[in-house]
Amino acid sequence: MAIAQAMCTSFKKELMLATHNFATNGNAFKLALFAEGSGGKSSTTATLGAATTAFVTTGEVASSGTYATGGGALTKVAPNTSGTTAFTDFADLSFTTATITAMGALIYNDTNSNKSVCVLDFSSNKTSTSGTFTIQFPTADASNAIIRIA
Amino acid sequence: MFDLGTSSVGSVNVMTSDKGGLTNEQVADLAVDKIVSISDEAPAHIRQQANQFREHLKKVMYHYLLLARKEERGSIVHILRSNGQKEMAEYIRRL
Repeated sequence: MAIAQAMCTSFKKELMLATHNFATNGNAFKLALFAEGSGGKSSTTATLGAATTAFVTTGEVASSGTYATGGGALTKVAPNTSGTTAFTDFADLSFTTATITAMGALIYNDTNSNKSVCVLDFSSNKTSTSGTFTIQFPTADASNAIIRIA
Repeated sequence: MFDLGTSSVGSVNVMTSDKGGLTNEQVADLAVDKIVSISDEAPAHIRQQANQFREHLKKVMYHYLLLARKEERGSIVHILRSNGQKEMAEYIRRL
């Protein structure tokens, strides 16, 4: 599979090196959209997964509407804990008047050398045509948040 | 291996539209998905009750989303009329 949902292995190491700061006044994070097959720029196919270490342009969808290559800025939800689980999350992200076909996304640290955080697999191609492309993040809790460490 | 814990990535929900923005129904779905989450491991009668609540909530959200959009259009129409843009105001009123 060219796009496989995963927390990037390099991210796990970088957590131990204090590379990423998810505090609301911390680092800036972005979400970039990727395609498999012909959806990406120049018909390139993205290969993303646990081994991804940084943002790459291969297979990224082209700029359209409010989506600009490199992706959209994410609004952080401050890290929290519940029981023995620590978690953090992001606010929903929308690109409007956009014609996009994407199969997945990469969240990366825009402040810190574009180092990757995690890969999201949409399972199937999601398409907007001169419309809105919304990514809804899960509820910020110990069972659902986008990044959880138990 | 001495395993102290696990890390997980949650699932996102993607909603798209063609030739315009999301519909009221799609926005209601997004809101309800954020408010209500039902565990697969919950007992059947709890899940059934939660699903009924979810459907009710979706109808209420949908109704008030329609109302919010209508009221906003009303405000826009008023501003346009106040500025002499009667034709534009009428066009928006009919949306």
